[in-house]
Amino acid sequence: MTSLLRRPELGAFAAFILTYIFFAIVTQGAGFVSVNGTAGWLNLAAELGIVAIPVGMLMISGEFDLSIGSTVGAASMVVAIATSFYGMPIWPAIGLALLIGALIGLANGMAVVRTNLPSFIVTLATNFIVIGATMGFSRLIANVTSSSIVSSDTAHAVFAARWGQANISILWWLGAAIVGGWVLSKTTFGNWVYATGGNMQAARGAGVPVERVKIILFIATGVAAAFVGVLQGVQWNSGNSTYGQGYVFQAPIVVVIGGVLLGGGYGSVAGIFLGTALFGVISTGIFYTGWNTDWIQLFLGALLALAVLANNYVRRFALTARR
Amino acid sequence: MRGFLDYLNSAARVSRRGLGAVLLAGALSLGAAPLVAMHAKAADDGPIIVVSGPLSWPFFAAVKQGFDDAAEIFDVDFQYVAVTDTANMTSDYPRLLQQAISRNPRMLLVGEFFPDGMDPLIKEATAAGIPVLIHNSGQTLWEQNGSIGFIGEDPYQMGFKAGQIQAEGGVKHGLCFNQVPGNPTVEARCTGYVDAMKEAGLETTYQTIGTGDATNPQAMLQAIKGTLQANGTIDGVYTLNAVPAMSALRAVQEVGRAGEVMIGTADLSNEVLEAIKAGDIAFAMDQQPYLQGFLSIQTAKQYLDYGLHPIGAVTTGPLVIDKSNVDKTLEVNKEFSGVRGAS
Repeated sequence: MTSLLRRPELGAFAAFILTYIFFAIVTQGAGFVSVNGTAGWLNLAAELGIVAIPVGMLMISGEFDLSIGSTVGAASMVVAIATSFYGMPIWPAIGLALLIGALIGLANGMAVVRTNLPSFIVTLATNFIVIGATMGFSRLIANVTSSSIVSSDTAHAVFAARWGQANISILWWLGAAIVGGWVLSKTTFGNWVYATGGNMQAARGAGVPVERVKIILFIATGVAAAFVGVLQGVQWNSGNSTYGQGYVFQAPIVVVIGGVLLGGGYGSVAGIFLGTALFGVISTGIFYTGWNTDWIQLFLGALLALAVLANNYVRRFALTARR
Repeated sequence: MRGFLDYLNSAARVSRRGLGAVLLAGALSLGAAPLVAMHAKAADDGPIIVVSGPLSWPFFAAVKQGFDDAAEIFDVDFQYVAVTDTANMTSDYPRLLQQAISRNPRMLLVGEFFPDGMDPLIKEATAAGIPVLIHNSGQTLWEQNGSIGFIGEDPYQMGFKAGQIQAEGGVKHGLCFNQVPGNPTVEARCTGYVDAMKEAGLETTYQTIGTGDATNPQAMLQAIKGTLQANGTIDGVYTLNAVPAMSALRAVQEVGRAGEVMIGTADLSNEVLEAIKAGDIAFAMDQQPYLQGFLSIQTAKQYLDYGLHPIGAVTTGPLVIDKSNVDKTLEVNKEFSGVRGAS
């Protein structure tokens, strides 16, 4: 029991349950709890969740990545221009997009470990550089900043298949959570991640290759962001340089809701998963209420604050209870 | 930042930083304005300077194409001045305009995107005898600041027209979906739509979303879906950009009301045009950015050479694209990428 209470995701779980019950009650009759309503918030959460999981692991290791927003848009534009302007088949184009995501991650990682500058600033700069380069090259090459994507059946099956109204992105999200959770809790690399974020000097002294840990996590984050860009692009048949800009802060927000400490060293993938689900419920459920949407950000902010407070309270309660 | 910000609903990067920043920067540059252009004058051998929108946006790429084509046809030279970094446009644009005026241009072709900072400068320029022609934004200001004319659209009228089309199409309860709340141009479109529907005695709902989600089609889909679920009587949707138009289409399909809800949108994309062709979206509205550039150069040439110019505002929008003319638009979009400001 105490080990259960000590888990970082407990607070997020409690907050999720409370929020879900709240919306189930206030949206009665609008179909929020129906199969299609559930598919709706899961679809929204899934796309954010795929990128939030590596972002969260990176945050546990003590670093931020704010360049994810532009990477999402860049990947979608790479696929769009490669397929519709150069007539490239979609799979090599997707490979190229993921490779570019990995390179952006590598560049972030190298810059952070070489310069020792805060990753918050380094990756914020990367975010501007990448969206600027995406727009510049798109205009130079094809005279556009958003463009159609020429897809194929297999690409559609992998990135945009649907069962009823549930997108395949939900499965990718679950997959990312399972892989991320396994890496973080069952492997040596996972221990290195916690050690790097907990106390970098001590970790280095104990022989943890902290630089390599960080660079690998930055690359994973870049690839995940590019993956979401491909997924959105194929799903909407269109690349757009501005896709993903909302994730820049939404991803760290759901990670923190999920119980990861902003300073690193503490957190879990299950928590991040629940934090993302909570965000999906709030930001979708609010529209099923039919309330005046002029106030929407106020509701959203208040509910997020409440969720984090509840989370924090439960966690503190759990941590004291173990003594 | 009127018509300029139209395009922000697709770009949506700057508007997110908020109206507060716009107003603040506007106020700051207003204070600086009287210092400028004190010795400016129109020089016969001076350049024609265009102060217009950032070329990273497809909309202004089309405007620029119009400038370029007309300049070639009429054998006119001009210099295009625009920001490349869109983070501080409210203060950058008055500064760019200031610099343009101080170069003693033969004529100024200006998009008056940020009236608070730009209008006093335009007044200085016209007082100094520099002919100024406004395009794209500034439709309510050009008569007072001494400009010779205006070429562009009225966002309110654009929305009003959309409301009229939906009312005539039998819509009883219309939803205006604004993905960039706080942007005055975009809000004017919704206001126009709501007014037209009200005039016809019909019900309307105005919906916005969180600012972080302005470029997330999935988030917009879920938001519209939720509103359609919460409100079963909505049978018309008007979106303000091509991306939310596609989200609205999916939302209508997901709640099982395809064919019952009439969807119309401002602005174009290939996806929207294909959906119009398939009959899923009723109409899209084009403000014809190319014409704003082309007609500006043509007017400049004829004004400088012969003293001729159109009287009053030249309206370039909205051109309504529906099933009857969508094929031609798609054809043009494929053959002349960028001219329609959509792809």
